[in-house]
Amino acid sequence: MIRNLLFRRPDWTVFIVTSLVCLSLILLERRAQERVVWFLQHTVLAPAEFAAGWMERGVGVYWENGRLRQRVATLQMEVDAMRAERGENARLRRLLALDQRHPFALVAADVSGRSLDRLGGSLTLDKGEEEGVTANRAILTPEGLVGRVERATAHQARVLTILHRDCAVAARVARTRVEGVIRWDFGDQPTLHLLYVSSQEDVKPGDIVVTSGQGGIFPEGVRIGTVDRVALEPNGLMKEIVVTTAVDFRGLEQVLVYTPGTAEGVAPPDLLEEAAPADSSAVPAVDPEAGASIGASAAPPSGTVAP
Amino acid sequence: MKLIRDSLVLLVVLSLQATLLYRIEIGGTRPDLLVAFVVYFGWMRGPIPGTLGGFGVGLLQDLDASGPLGMNALAKSVVGFLVARAGFRVHRANVGVRFAFFFAALLVHDILYYAVATGGDGGEFVKQMFVKALPTALYTAVATLLLLGVAERFTRRRLLTDET
Repeated sequence: MIRNLLFRRPDWTVFIVTSLVCLSLILLERRAQERVVWFLQHTVLAPAEFAAGWMERGVGVYWENGRLRQRVATLQMEVDAMRAERGENARLRRLLALDQRHPFALVAADVSGRSLDRLGGSLTLDKGEEEGVTANRAILTPEGLVGRVERATAHQARVLTILHRDCAVAARVARTRVEGVIRWDFGDQPTLHLLYVSSQEDVKPGDIVVTSGQGGIFPEGVRIGTVDRVALEPNGLMKEIVVTTAVDFRGLEQVLVYTPGTAEGVAPPDLLEEAAPADSSAVPAVDPEAGASIGASAAPPSGTVAP
Repeated sequence: MKLIRDSLVLLVVLSLQATLLYRIEIGGTRPDLLVAFVVYFGWMRGPIPGTLGGFGVGLLQDLDASGPLGMNALAKSVVGFLVARAGFRVHRANVGVRFAFFFAALLVHDILYYAVATGGDGGEFVKQMFVKALPTALYTAVATLLLLGVAERFTRRRLLTDET
């Protein structure tokens, strides 16, 4: 019967034998299966794996190439964008460097002397006319306005601070652009006042007061101080506004002299005024809206408002 | 000549299965061109080559599989044998017949494969049949017909003919 099966139905024989071998392999223990696999892998499969690996590398390179082309295109776009930004950055840096070289044509000066008066009100600087410090130049610090040069010699200058009764400054409230005059009021309680503001105007405590630029001595937008109190005058027509100075005059040792004759008329970024009461913690010194007009405001020195 | 041609087809199929097919995976399903090759081989060469070819290809697959050794070999041997026995007199050039044969053969293969793999767990077997076997059979049948069409157009001769 087996002989008949082998010779008359060889296909069935092969099929049965093959199936039995397969079943035997399936039923082998795992360790025995691993040995069979190891043997076959190192004899039968090695050439096939070599061929498959060769194809994998070839085809893989093709796919990898496609992916890399896509990646290169994406990166190229990024590089172009970054290149454009770098150009813009360089351009802005050049502008900034220009500004920093000639921001206001500011001259730094040391405070060499102070007023003998206990309230202060005047300073003596170690720079004079030969250094470009002449009469009616504005004196600033990064914190804000200090005052103006009253008179100057070759190497010295006398400064009237805004705490001096003879130094009045045209000013405005940064938030509402309400204008007035800042003047030191020597009374029972010496304070800085914003004068000539109508009772109808919108001024609140916390508002920042800056120079208005009118008159030409003081550049527009320089911070003077912050509104401390707002009340109505006894006549009811004007507001009584008390301003706290931005500059600490007690510790003043160095100042900047504004020399508009050589100014470029552009404010440095760190001095730009945000002009918002909520940001009153910052102490910028110049109103950005005034930046363009600073250079043009080199008019005759009439900024000092007579009391 | 036939041996060389079949060897080349097997080499191409092995290469495609090892390199390209995972890139066209759809929802975790990819064509099993090795089963398709066994169907083609058994169909064209008869029961004994089909059985032995199925055994060889299946064993090759088992060497790289995580399941028990011999599972693929058994399934492909049976498929090679059955296809050769059943498809001897059918019209192989017809696309519908080709699709039905490949699809049915792939289902038989997966029935055997998952019957062993699930170890008699009926629920798991049914689940695997619906989740894996049917999509794979469908995808493989379609992919095989496309590949056959491309290969026949390229070589300008039918790879699956009625002649034996």
